[in-house]
Amino acid sequence: MPAVVTSTTPTLRGVGLTKTYGDGSARRAALKAVSIDLRPGELALLMGPSGSGKSTLLAVLSGLLEPDSGQVLAEDEGELRDVWAMTGKQREDYRLRTTGFVFQGYNLFPALTARQQLEIVLKWGGYAGGSEARRRADEMLDKLGLAPNRHKKPAYLSGGEKQRVAIGRALVKDPSFVFADEPTSALDWENGQRVMELLRDAAHDRRASILVVSHDHRLMPYVDAYYHLEDGHLEERGRG
Amino acid sequence: MSYALQTLWHERPRYASGVLAVTFSAVLIALQCGLLLGLFKITSIPIDFASAGTDRTLWVGSTAVPSVDLGKPIPASYLSRVAGRPGVGMPELYVANFANFTKPTGGTELCFLLGSRLDGDSAAAATVLTPQMRAALSEPFTVVLDESDYAKLKLDHPYGRPKINGKEVTVVGTVKGVKSLAAPWMFCSLHTARQLLGYVLPPDHATYLVAVCDTPARAREVARELRAEYPDDMTAYSGTDFSTGSRWYWLFRTKAGFAIGFAAVLGLFVGAVITGQTLYSATAASAKEFAILLALGIPRWRVYLMVLAQSFWVGVVGVALAYPICLALREAARLGSVDVDLRWEVLAGTAAVTLLTALAAGLWALRSVRTIEPMDLLR
Ligand SMILES: Nc1ncnc2c1ncn2[C@@H]1O[C@H](COP(=O)(O)OP(=O)(O)OP(=O)(O)O)[C@@H](O)[C@H]1O
Ligand SMILES: [Mg+2]
Repeated sequence: MPAVVTSTTPTLRGVGLTKTYGDGSARRAALKAVSIDLRPGELALLMGPSGSGKSTLLAVLSGLLEPDSGQVLAEDEGELRDVWAMTGKQREDYRLRTTGFVFQGYNLFPALTARQQLEIVLKWGGYAGGSEARRRADEMLDKLGLAPNRHKKPAYLSGGEKQRVAIGRALVKDPSFVFADEPTSALDWENGQRVMELLRDAAHDRRASILVVSHDHRLMPYVDAYYHLEDGHLEERGRG
Repeated sequence: MSYALQTLWHERPRYASGVLAVTFSAVLIALQCGLLLGLFKITSIPIDFASAGTDRTLWVGSTAVPSVDLGKPIPASYLSRVAGRPGVGMPELYVANFANFTKPTGGTELCFLLGSRLDGDSAAAATVLTPQMRAALSEPFTVVLDESDYAKLKLDHPYGRPKINGKEVTVVGTVKGVKSLAAPWMFCSLHTARQLLGYVLPPDHATYLVAVCDTPARAREVARELRAEYPDDMTAYSGTDFSTGSRWYWLFRTKAGFAIGFAAVLGLFVGAVITGQTLYSATAASAKEFAILLALGIPRWRVYLMVLAQSFWVGVVGVALAYPICLALREAARLGSVDVDLRWEVLAGTAAVTLLTALAAGLWALRSVRTIEPMDLLR
């Protein structure tokens, strides 16, 4: 379905998403007909009690976990496409073009320097090689205030610095969508704030749609939209 | 530096067991082969000790003779087939044949007669024969043998005289470094060899014709020409090829080749299992980092390639470590007067086989990459 995309048009849209785990008595519905719109240039926060299905929704929206029913429509190369109607290979290519991830664990390669953690994405993803990859990696690290840490391996970085490197890895290919599952929960409040500021700036400056999953109510002032998930039902609770 | 190599260096302790396993199998294979090649050098002693050297000599013998001790008599008239070719010296006759040795104390053993011209410019006479020995050997029914065989043949016995093929002989000297596996080498003159062999060697026959060529390349070339020209009633080799051929023949004839083959396969198997396990657990330990890359849409084959590159480097480092160890063990063996022949073919072959094994271990370790799912990051 071709569409002219304006700034307020959602660029990622989940429609009637359901997901059930297990069968028989162990059957458990994690998502019950959830619909959600992510808009470009917006930082959205998804909250809810533990086990309410937040990570499940993030995985379904980001193209990692297939829903039982419903659609995930994403703007990609100027048109809206159903992510779960794509073949596996198409979805992999789509994620490569459009999607970035940040998780609670930093998951950085212990042997690689901060710069290399970013370069590897650009090189292996076919974005850029050699000096161009280096330039883009350094530019991103500078923006995240990591210029002095370019040559450091994870063992020599603080938790906050590691999470910023992980954010750099998610942003360096300039994705349209960024999904962050509990990006601040391993950090102290100060570093958590810093991470939220960086994610918000990324959303605003790059016109990316960013979805953050968290338990932490203190993050609310940083976001443009706020959703609450409970018992598999989603509710939009506010918009900044 | 590649990411794979960098990871290897950064996590040295983790990869050490894999690297050492590769080193172990490489050392095992190289030493096995080297020991056997060293041992089987004995089978080509007549060629290797020719006065004119090994690589420049041309050896002409009976059809398809596989090893120097298995030549059958050929007519001396074949000399004309060899003589007069450019870059080839005057060929000379050489006799090499088994004979019966009767010890002074009675009882017989097999010995191997090596009869050659003995003058100073003889091509085939053994280098270990001194001018004095050669002079002494010009007396009929005299022989020279290795000192290690002297006592074995009871020649230190004060009474009685040894016989070869029933004829009394005199030992006029002993030499060093030409040990035998079973039948002791008996160096003598052509004349003595003929007398001792009698009807075994028809008149106007010899076992080999030996000539010196200008260069090793010329020796090979003439050998090829002669083989092509006279395929039916004789064969020709350069000294180098005949020497190697003799060793290989006995290596496989005695099934020793299978013995090394078996030990090598066993060593490789142990090496492969340990290396594979090392790579497998290293890859599993990095599963989350790889999972992030997969989530970001980076194709899985990139990760496969990285693991294979790691296995390649594990192999390279393992083989590099094996090299000095092999050389050191060779020197140690030399002290015990055991010859380990680490020619380049052995080292290169070992390197190739162990590298391939390391790569195979890497392929096996790919199983752990196959199971990595980006979803695991959300659990
Ligand atoms: N692979 C799975 N198999 C079975 N049940 C699962 C699986 N993954 C999640 N669940 C269940 O689905 C429900 C939602 O899980 P989910 O991880 O989405 O919750 P969450 O909101 O992210 O929780 P938390 O805040 O603790 O991370 C939970 O009850 C969980 O036990
Ligand atoms: Mg969760």
